[in-house]
Amino acid sequence: MEDASNTQTSKKILCIEDELFIGELYSRALKKAGYDVTVEPDGQKGLELAQTNQFDIILLDLMIPTITGIDVLHQLRDKNKTPELKAKIIITTNLEQREEVKADIEHQADGYIVKANITPRELVDFLNNIQ
Amino acid sequence: MDHLQQFIKRGKLYAYILIVLINFVLIASWWVISQILHLPSPVVLSILFILAIALPLIVVPLVSTIFVQPLTFVWQAILYMAPETTSVPAPELHKVRYARELVTNLVNHVYQLADASKHVAKTVNKEAEGLHNNFIANSLPLPLMVLDKHETILFANTAMLHYLGQSEEDVVNQSVYSHLDLSFETDDTLDTWLKHAKSKHVATSKTWERVRLTIRGDKPTIKLLDLVAYYNKSNPAGYETMLVCFDRTKTYAQDEQAINFVALAVHELRTPLTMLRGYIEALDEELKGKLNDELSGFLQKTQVAAGQLATFVNNILNVARIEDDHMVLKLQKENWQEVLNTAINELRPRAQVRGIDLKLNIADDLPEVGADRVSLYEVISNLIDNAIKYSGQGKEIIVSAKLSKDGLVETTIEDHGVGIPASAIPRVFDKFYRDHHNRSQIGGSGLGLYLCKTIIKAHGGNIWVHSKEGEGSTFGFTLLPYSELADELKNEDNEGIVRNAHGWIKNHSLYRG
Repeated sequence: MEDASNTQTSKKILCIEDELFIGELYSRALKKAGYDVTVEPDGQKGLELAQTNQFDIILLDLMIPTITGIDVLHQLRDKNKTPELKAKIIITTNLEQREEVKADIEHQADGYIVKANITPRELVDFLNNIQ
Repeated sequence: MDHLQQFIKRGKLYAYILIVLINFVLIASWWVISQILHLPSPVVLSILFILAIALPLIVVPLVSTIFVQPLTFVWQAILYMAPETTSVPAPELHKVRYARELVTNLVNHVYQLADASKHVAKTVNKEAEGLHNNFIANSLPLPLMVLDKHETILFANTAMLHYLGQSEEDVVNQSVYSHLDLSFETDDTLDTWLKHAKSKHVATSKTWERVRLTIRGDKPTIKLLDLVAYYNKSNPAGYETMLVCFDRTKTYAQDEQAINFVALAVHELRTPLTMLRGYIEALDEELKGKLNDELSGFLQKTQVAAGQLATFVNNILNVARIEDDHMVLKLQKENWQEVLNTAINELRPRAQVRGIDLKLNIADDLPEVGADRVSLYEVISNLIDNAIKYSGQGKEIIVSAKLSKDGLVETTIEDHGVGIPASAIPRVFDKFYRDHHNRSQIGGSGLGLYLCKTIIKAHGGNIWVHSKEGEGSTFGFTLLPYSELADELKNEDNEGIVRNAHGWIKNHSLYRG
């Protein structure tokens, strides 16, 4: 199932996730599939990492400490604050959003995943489809 | 009036004297020209003719001054008192030369009338002041406001001032629209209703629910309220419209929070669930080939149970959404064969751990359907879970999809289990309904089928069940081909978003789901 990922060895992923266990699981599965993974539990630090380094994919949890995932998303999409963002932003959350927030996320993010509905291996499959 | 009679008399007298004078001048002129200067008749006549024209030219302005000057002063007095004109000075009455008494008198009348109208305006204000001193209006524990015909606030009671957190000076004499930031649920707002009321009614009233009032200031707050308005055109005191607020902030906010509570509870359930599923999968990967059949069976069953828990958690969330009208489907063009295949393959382990064979039988001539993948995955997983749950000794579940006679895409899930008693069939799709017969043996929330029905109906399809006790059940549902879907339901071009059962991703070309 994860064979396809062997061709994408050097892809860099930033996983902004405050649940240590989920961070560990995602990190394990993604590393196994050949991704270069950085896990950051803090919102502000995650934002700074995303602004100072080039990642291919950012997995962004919404309920995170210091600043919310929605704020991180907005600042990453703000050309003045993050002038050169190449990464695809995938929201990974377990929190159901209100419709207006959903619409905002659909507009600003590149993907959306309910964490409880997929296993780490399914996440890898999902991400393998992003070129 | 005496002054007017005097003025008329004097005017007539002046006119009489002036005409007599002209005549005298003409006669005297004739006498001088013909008797003393002895000029010939044609010359005399010519001179008299010229005089007859010239004399009135001198006299008429004099006469008109007598009549027009008093009118000018009175006119100036009126303009001076008129509220709209400010540049006209007061008439200087000592300069009046003719009919001074009459002019003074009339100007005084003008001044008195102007004072009287000011007084009327003052009385209205006084009436409003009266409201301020009115015990009932002021002590009414409900926020109350009174508007005049220009929709200006005449009065706000103590409760209203408190509600708005403002003083009387801030509120009174302000336009209600510029002062109250109200937003209504529909287009039927206060101003449209008032416009209608003013053109069509003498007296009428109206109630709005769930009105949102934004109070600006250092700490902006939002209040939710029911608003009652009473309109009465013929109110002599100028109180045309009365507004009463019923604060419902707590009640309505609780309604809004209900979904938030469920969302929060679901979040708390999902977080450990994510970890469980993740670690079970990790164990499964690490221990592959190292466990005996029984232990790897345990692991697979744990995996299935966690998957079912995820389905159930989604059910709770969806039912809460339906209850609150927050369920939004995104119907896109989908290949049903592919959707069904993906879902069944994902759900197959749930049947396998119970020794049940999940068979798939999909016709290959199906048209594309209008479907919301996330919701339909939930429908399929609920129907499969149900079929597994009620399979009893049955070891086979058959999922079929074909084009119906009506041109709809029809999917059926058939089990050979315990079946449903005829008496229970009409109610199986009701919320919280569970078959009494089976309740003691098989667990379930009674949410799944209710959810299936709601989702399928929202897709424009139909859902049904055929069952015989002891022989098994067949659940079926239809979906509309995408081409038959009403335009307003279509959601095709959503920034190229591709949805799957558990999320979405942008741009078709990047996703091979």
